[in-house]
Amino acid sequence: MVPKPSSSTHSKGAFLPDASSVLYALLTGGVLVFILWPTVAILKESVLIDGAFSLERYRDLLTDNRTLLKNSLFVGWWTAVLAVLIGLCCALYVTRTAFRGKRAVLGVLLMTMIAPPFVSSLSYIMLFGRRGLVTWRLLGLRWNPYGAHGVVLMESVGLAAAAAFLIMAELRGIDRSLEQASFDLGAGRWETLLRVTLPLARPGIVTAALIVFIRSLSDFGTPMFIGGNYNVLATQAYMTAMGSFDLPKAAAISTLLVIPAFLVFLVYRKLMAGAPLFSSKAVAAGEERSLPAAVRWFVFAVVWSFVLFEGMKYGAIFCGAFVRTWGVDYSFTLQHLHTLQFSKLASLLRSVRYSFVAALAAGLMGVVLARFLGRRATLFSRIVDFIADLPFILPGPFFGIAYLLAFNRLPEAFLGTGFLIVANCVYRQLSLGIKSGVSVLGQINPELEDAVRDQGGGSLAVLRDVIGPLLMPAFLVSFINTFTFTMTTIGGIIFLVTPYTKVLTAEMFDAIQSGDIGASSVMASVIILVAMTVNTAFSWLLLKRRTKGSEAEYVSSVGAAR
Amino acid sequence: MRKIMTLVVLVALAVSVGTAAFAEADKPLAGRSISIFTAATGKDETFAEFTKDTGIEVHYLEISSGEVLSRLRASGGKNLADAWFGGGVDSYIAAGEEGFLEPYRSPEAELIPDEYKSPEGYWTGLSLVAVDLIVNTDVLKEKNLPLPKTWLDLGKPEYKDELMMSNPTISGTNYAVIFHLIRLFGEEAGWDLLRKMHENIPFYTKRGAAPPNKAAMGEVAIGIDPYDVGVQLIAQGYPVVSIFPEEGVPGFLAPIALMKGAKDMEAAKAFIDWCLSKRGQEVQMTYTAKVGTRPDAEVPEYLQGLKNAKIVVADPVKVGEMRKGILDRWQQEFGSKAEQ
Repeated sequence: MVPKPSSSTHSKGAFLPDASSVLYALLTGGVLVFILWPTVAILKESVLIDGAFSLERYRDLLTDNRTLLKNSLFVGWWTAVLAVLIGLCCALYVTRTAFRGKRAVLGVLLMTMIAPPFVSSLSYIMLFGRRGLVTWRLLGLRWNPYGAHGVVLMESVGLAAAAAFLIMAELRGIDRSLEQASFDLGAGRWETLLRVTLPLARPGIVTAALIVFIRSLSDFGTPMFIGGNYNVLATQAYMTAMGSFDLPKAAAISTLLVIPAFLVFLVYRKLMAGAPLFSSKAVAAGEERSLPAAVRWFVFAVVWSFVLFEGMKYGAIFCGAFVRTWGVDYSFTLQHLHTLQFSKLASLLRSVRYSFVAALAAGLMGVVLARFLGRRATLFSRIVDFIADLPFILPGPFFGIAYLLAFNRLPEAFLGTGFLIVANCVYRQLSLGIKSGVSVLGQINPELEDAVRDQGGGSLAVLRDVIGPLLMPAFLVSFINTFTFTMTTIGGIIFLVTPYTKVLTAEMFDAIQSGDIGASSVMASVIILVAMTVNTAFSWLLLKRRTKGSEAEYVSSVGAAR
Repeated sequence: MRKIMTLVVLVALAVSVGTAAFAEADKPLAGRSISIFTAATGKDETFAEFTKDTGIEVHYLEISSGEVLSRLRASGGKNLADAWFGGGVDSYIAAGEEGFLEPYRSPEAELIPDEYKSPEGYWTGLSLVAVDLIVNTDVLKEKNLPLPKTWLDLGKPEYKDELMMSNPTISGTNYAVIFHLIRLFGEEAGWDLLRKMHENIPFYTKRGAAPPNKAAMGEVAIGIDPYDVGVQLIAQGYPVVSIFPEEGVPGFLAPIALMKGAKDMEAAKAFIDWCLSKRGQEVQMTYTAKVGTRPDAEVPEYLQGLKNAKIVVADPVKVGEMRKGILDRWQQEFGSKAEQ
C-alpha cells in the first residue's frame, strides 16, 4: 500500500523520532538496563527461595547482624568525624593561610584520592603492624594494630582527601568580601571564622561528611585486612558471597547495608540540588591571614601530620617494590619487577585499555545525558537521574554481584571481552558526569544559544560552537574520574573478571591475599603511576581551558564525590 | 638504525614461522587456546611449560574454588572456562552433583589410585596438599618460647596471642585441620584442644594464606599453613621454618576437571591429559609444593620432607558430610572471635 503523501509530511515532526530523541531513549534505556535491572535482580534473589517469594532471609537478618550493623555505623560515624576534621584543616590550609607548601599538600591529597584499594591496609601492616617498621623496629612498641581503631584511622586518612576537596571547593566559592566586611565591622578573627566562614562553608562540610559516611559503610577491604575480629556489614556481605558462596544471603546483608546509606543519600541529594559543582564566581584574592593564631597552628599541625603519614604510607609501598624481603632484609633489589612478566603485563595493558574506554564512554554519556536531563524537568527525567545516582550508595560487591546475576546469561561476546567490567565502571561513575554536565550547563546563558540560532545556526551549530566547548571541562572531569576509578577499583569487578579479562587490580588483590609484599608493591606502584600520569595530563588539559582562578582541585572536588 | 630494525623484524618473523612450522609436526592442537579457572601456586610457570609442549595457549583466572561454585550457580552453569585446575575437592564434588562438570576419564589417570578419582569421572586428583605449621624462629627466640612439635603444643598457654588460623567456615584448609584434630583425638579431646588453641588465637583471618604470612612478618609466632604457601615464604628469605606436627597432618586432594560446555573439548582434554602425565606432574612439582598423585612421577628433593611427613588423607565424601555439623558447632563456640 502506498502511504498518503499528505499524512507522511504531516506526521514527520510529531511522530518520526529525530536523532536526538533516539539518543535520549538509548541513554536512558542504558541507565535502566545497567543500573535498575541489576539492582532489581539482586533484590529479587534475596527474597526468592526455590522460586517462591519469601522474606525468610530477612527475618533473622537484623537480630543476627545487629553487632555488625552497630560496628558499621560506629566506624562510619567516627570516620566521618575524623575525615572531615582533617579535610577541613587541609581546606583551610590551602585557602585561608599564608603557609608554604600548598602544592605539596594538594599533591598528597590528589595521590590519596587515586590510591588503589587495599594498598593502605598493606602499608599499615608494613609500618604499624605488630612487627611494623615504625611501631616495632623504630619504637619497639608492642601493641595490637587490629581492630576498630585501625579501621577508623586508615579509613579517615584515606577519605580525608575527598572531604578536603569538597570543602575546599565550598571555601573557594565564598565571596571574600563577606569576610572582609566582617573584619571591617570590627569582628575578630574567631568571630569571623565561627560566624561567617564556617557557616558559609557548611553545605560543603555536611556533604563531605555524608559522602565519607557512605563510603565508609561500603568499604569492605579495610576491615577485612586490618579489622582483626572486628567485622562490619560490608565485609560480611563480601565474605558471604566469596567465602560461604551464599549469594542470596549476601544480597540480603547488602540490602541491610543499603538502608542507612540510602537515608543519608536522600539528605545528600537534597543538599546537592542547589549546589553548583563548578562555581563561576570570581574569587577575589583576599586577606590570607584571617584565621586566629591558635586555629592556624592547629591546622598546620594536623595538615603536616597528615602529609607525613601519607608520605610514609606511599613511601612504604614504593620501597616495598625494591627491597628484598620487607621486615627482614631491606637490601635493594630489582627482582620484584619480574612480577610484571607473564600475564601480569597483559593485565596491566588491559586495565589501561578498559579504563580509557570506560572514561570515554562515561564522559560522553554524562555530558549528553546532562543536556537532556537538565532541559527536561519531567518526572521521567527526574527518575532517570535518581536511578543514575543509585550506584553511588551501592557497595562495590553489591553492584558486582548484581551484574553477575543480571548478565551472566549473555552471549560470550559480552562476557569474554570485558564489556561487563567496563559497563560496571561506567555506570558506577555516570552520575558524576551528569552532575558536572548539569552544573556547567546551568551557567550557560540560554540567550547565547538563541543568539547562534538567530544568526542562522541550526541545533548542530549550537552544539558544536556553544555547548560543546563549554561542556569540555565537564567531559574532562568525568573522563579523569572514571579513568582513575576503573584503574583502581576492585570490589565490583572482582566478580566479573574472566580468564580472558583479568585486570591488574585483580592480580594485585591476589598478591596481597597471598602475602607477596614485593609483587603487591610493584603492582600498586604501577597502578598509582599510571593513574597519576593520566590525572596530571588531563588536569593540565582542563586547566589550559580554564584560565581564570582555578586549580587542579576542580577535578578533584568533583572526583571527591565518588 | 632502520636496517637493524628490519633485520630484527625479519629474524623474529623467521623464528616464529620456523617454530610454527616445526610445531605443526608433533603438536596437532598448536595455535588453539583454552581457558581455565585455577586456585594454585606456580601456575604461570606450569602453564608456560604446557604451552611449550603442546602449542596450546592458556588463559587462566585465579579464583577460589568456592567462588567458582557460586559463579556457576549464579549463571546456571554458563561460564567461560574449559577446565578447572586445583582448589578444594568439596567444591568439585558439589559441582559434579549439580551437573556443572563433564565426565572425563583421562587415559593418563590409570595409574592414579581410585580413592583420588571421582567414581563418576567428574574429577581426577591432581596432587596432594598438606597442612603444616610455619613458625617464626626470630619471634620464638625473642620471646623465649620453645619450638612447637605437636598439635597438642598449640594448646599450651605460653603461646598466648602467638597462634594464627583462618576462619574454617571460609578456609577449606582450616576446616580440614579441625576435621583432622577431631578424628585424631576423638570428639571430646579434639574440641578441648580447639578450645585451648582458641585462647591462643588473637583472631581468625579470612584467608587460608594469611596465617603463614602473618607468621613470616613476625606478627605471630605460629601460623597454620597450606604447605605450598609456606614453602614460598621460606624461599623469600623470611626467618621461618616448616614443622609437621608429630601426630600427623591433614592432607587433601587438589583435583582437575573438565567443564560442561567447554568451548574446545579436545584442547581441554589435552590439558587434563598433560597435567596428569608423568611429565606434567613433574613440572607441577617443580613449581608448586604439592605431591603429585601419580606414583611414577619423580618427587623433587625439596618436597621429600612432605613426601615423608605423616599425611592423613581424609575421605572427601565424609569430609563433606560432616562439614555442616562441625562448622555449626565451631561457629557457636568460637564464632564470636571471628565475627564480632
